[in-house]
Amino acid sequence: MFTHIWHKEIRGELYTWKSMLWLLISSLLFSVTCYLLLTNKELSLLDQTELLWLLGKVIIGVGLLVITVDASSIITTEFEKETAESIFLSPVSLTDFVLGKLLAALTLWFAIFIVSIPYIIVASAGSHLAIPFIAYIALLGTLGVLGFVLLVFAISLFFRSSKNTLTTGLIILLGLSIPAVFSSTLKNDVVSQIISHANPIDNIFSSLDNVLVDYKVSLLENWQFIVPLVVFCLLALGLLAFAMYQFQKQGVIRSE
Amino acid sequence: MNMAKTLITTCAGIIFLSFAFVAYAQAVPPPLSIQILSQNTLDGVAGDYVTVKGQITNAGTTTLNDVTTYLSLVDTGTKLPVDLEDWSAEKGLYIGSIDAKQTLPLSWQIHFVKAGTYSLIIVAEAGSNEVPQVSTITHFNVAPKKNLNPGQVLPVALGTPIVLLCILFVLSYRRKIEE
Repeated sequence: MFTHIWHKEIRGELYTWKSMLWLLISSLLFSVTCYLLLTNKELSLLDQTELLWLLGKVIIGVGLLVITVDASSIITTEFEKETAESIFLSPVSLTDFVLGKLLAALTLWFAIFIVSIPYIIVASAGSHLAIPFIAYIALLGTLGVLGFVLLVFAISLFFRSSKNTLTTGLIILLGLSIPAVFSSTLKNDVVSQIISHANPIDNIFSSLDNVLVDYKVSLLENWQFIVPLVVFCLLALGLLAFAMYQFQKQGVIRSE
Repeated sequence: MNMAKTLITTCAGIIFLSFAFVAYAQAVPPPLSIQILSQNTLDGVAGDYVTVKGQITNAGTTTLNDVTTYLSLVDTGTKLPVDLEDWSAEKGLYIGSIDAKQTLPLSWQIHFVKAGTYSLIIVAEAGSNEVPQVSTITHFNVAPKKNLNPGQVLPVALGTPIVLLCILFVLSYRRKIEE
């Protein structure tokens, strides 16, 4: 049954100007970044590996931002447009509903990832890093996006309001992104290092650094970054399970 | 006659003394000297780092205080001095005191920022000396960076959004037909 919801969402995503505009904006951002990195006199002096790392951060950052905004409204609009009642009156379980929406959000991430591939190939020309770069953007990006979508879905079920969900989602994304872009010299103390190891965005950027700059491409050499990302996804899944339990207890029409 | 003799003798004396003074000045080396140990010409591509190595020696018989060394870089194409802001993290090295006959190593890491030809000298000055000492010239030949082909990026940077825009129009058109 979840495939029905997934297809319905995909149809809505692909056939509307507003949804497809995200892809176009993402593509323009990648174009500007890539062009500046390769042609700007100052930026082109960066080592190619550092340049790829910067591009990787932009791709993951844009992907997380677009998916967070998309996931913030994908569930809550059903409540705001009052279509949730009719959905749950049909033989659709809450799990099918959430799973269908989750697949729709991940499809949008997949589309962004596909759009980013030509840029990755052009920027990696002559470095033999194109394949590991694409593979790790897919792996790290999917884990990061999955965790954020699960988290935002849990918030959606708690709040049932696009505005509140979007604000909370963006604050969480910003809160995790800002320490991740600090230089390593600002992360020398114990507290900063603990936050850095727990922060999923920090782990994504560190793993990309490990792969692209230090050329440690095997999964065994990156497990210390991938495990915290998996833990983040599991925690977000746990929170979503709790939110779904609370939702079922309260019912579709919540008595305030 | 005697006067002429005296005049000639005096002139000869002055000339002799001048020669003796010049000979003495040439025989006594300046107390500070800088030798470049790295190659005279360093080649690279913009973005590369090279290390210029040298040594500073106090050839005198007394300790020299407040010794400072610094770099001077000139763009030989434009004949203008270059701001070392991006070229070297350490524009100068304060050495302090050098004992008599002591030799100390000097090392600068230079970042090739812009393509061109450059000449670099190391200047050393001691607090007690009015005249600084300079090293021999190190020449830099910096080639432009071509590790990435910018020609490939333009079709992708322009083409991808255009292709997406076309897909967007096609999907929108199909949606209109279906409705």
